[in-house]
Amino acid sequence: MHQKSKFHAMAALLAAGLVTGCASAPEGNGDSNDPMEGMNRKFYNFNDALDRNFFEPVARGYVKVTPDPVRSGVSRFFNNASYLNVIANDLLQGKPTQLAQDTGRFVVNSTVGVGGLFDPATKLGMPEHDEDLGQTLGTYGVGEGAYLVMPMMGPNSLRDLPGTAASVLLNPINYLSFPITFPLGALAAINTRANLLEASSIRDQAALDPYTFVREAYRQQREFKIYDGNPPNDDFEEYFESEADAAILKIY
Amino acid sequence: MFKLLSLTLALLVTLVCAPLARAAEARQTVEILHAALLEAMKGGAELGYEGRRKQLAPVLNEVFDFQTISRLVTGRHWAGMSEAQREEFVDVFAQLSAATYAENFDAFGGEKFETRASEKKKNAEVVRTVLLAPDGDEVSLNYLLAEQGEAWRIVNVIAEGVSDISLKRTEYAAVIGREGVGGLIAKLRAKVASYESKKP
Repeated sequence: MHQKSKFHAMAALLAAGLVTGCASAPEGNGDSNDPMEGMNRKFYNFNDALDRNFFEPVARGYVKVTPDPVRSGVSRFFNNASYLNVIANDLLQGKPTQLAQDTGRFVVNSTVGVGGLFDPATKLGMPEHDEDLGQTLGTYGVGEGAYLVMPMMGPNSLRDLPGTAASVLLNPINYLSFPITFPLGALAAINTRANLLEASSIRDQAALDPYTFVREAYRQQREFKIYDGNPPNDDFEEYFESEADAAILKIY
Repeated sequence: MFKLLSLTLALLVTLVCAPLARAAEARQTVEILHAALLEAMKGGAELGYEGRRKQLAPVLNEVFDFQTISRLVTGRHWAGMSEAQREEFVDVFAQLSAATYAENFDAFGGEKFETRASEKKKNAEVVRTVLLAPDGDEVSLNYLLAEQGEAWRIVNVIAEGVSDISLKRTEYAAVIGREGVGGLIAKLRAKVASYESKKP
């Protein structure tokens, strides 16, 4: 794979969050926000087995037989189809500039961009944004709620759960007739998994305890997104505020 | 004439010694790291994994404060570790960092690093940078540095909002809880070995 995809793989892994990894017993942890860890780990292992035995091999096959430009077009198509969700959340978060850009982006890419297969909007000054209902609730001050892993789904939290439903409801593909929706849905799933292949191999390579790795990465990444890349404490001060760590710094 | 000569000399000395001198500013430390990463990327396949690792390891040892990082990632368990265990941990952690960088920064496709800002946070400094892909995509990389004597050294990396120390601390706590510190160190060693065995 080329270089760029590797760097983005990490971000993609965190963004879409893969639910896979190997079996391990739960361990109590104070600030991990995971009261349902026992159940979560069971579903995580179930998802992981399903992924390794089905989705991942299928995604690899898809990558093998599909030329890169076609895959990029497919990715853009599904991104565009899910874009009403972004626009709705621009509105809910009171971001007028972004709302205007994203509305323009959806219109331009759906028409000139042939149903979203191409992305002329970015070059016209309408960049892609990443918003969802979970982020909106975060900006409203709703706490993250317990971490959640459910069968056949990526990492989630009580705060992000309504957004998962909203993104389905706001995707026009789901309103087409079943003979169209079903194969498109399958392609969407395979495409999503294919885009995460590099990310999952990084996870497999880097993680000592994949369940914990995915959970922590997901939680931090969500916080980062809620603040559009500028979280207030950035995890910077934490290490320099507690007494123990202040003591550590005095050792210099 | 003499003036010009001494000026030229002074300039030369500054130019030659600047990268060698211990970074007086936090952003310089980060930029030394980024320059080394770019070099590894450009060396890519020609250097091979082992070549990149050998090239990066001494730079990482210079710019990262692995001692402090080790304390922070092991959290409350550090206190219970013997001196020998601590040394072993710092050593294997540094090895793993070099292996991870060598594995992932393996090819160059026109990327560049850009320092965007540098700001004081209590007794530390945050340097905000991005990795820019040729197509305009950005990956946010923020560094937290602490001052050690004259030099600033990196104690945390935050990539796209994910703090390396927080992530590792939670993960390591889970492993220590099940397998103890010895188990964690063994796992880290196995990781280093897995990077090595993957590449020629």
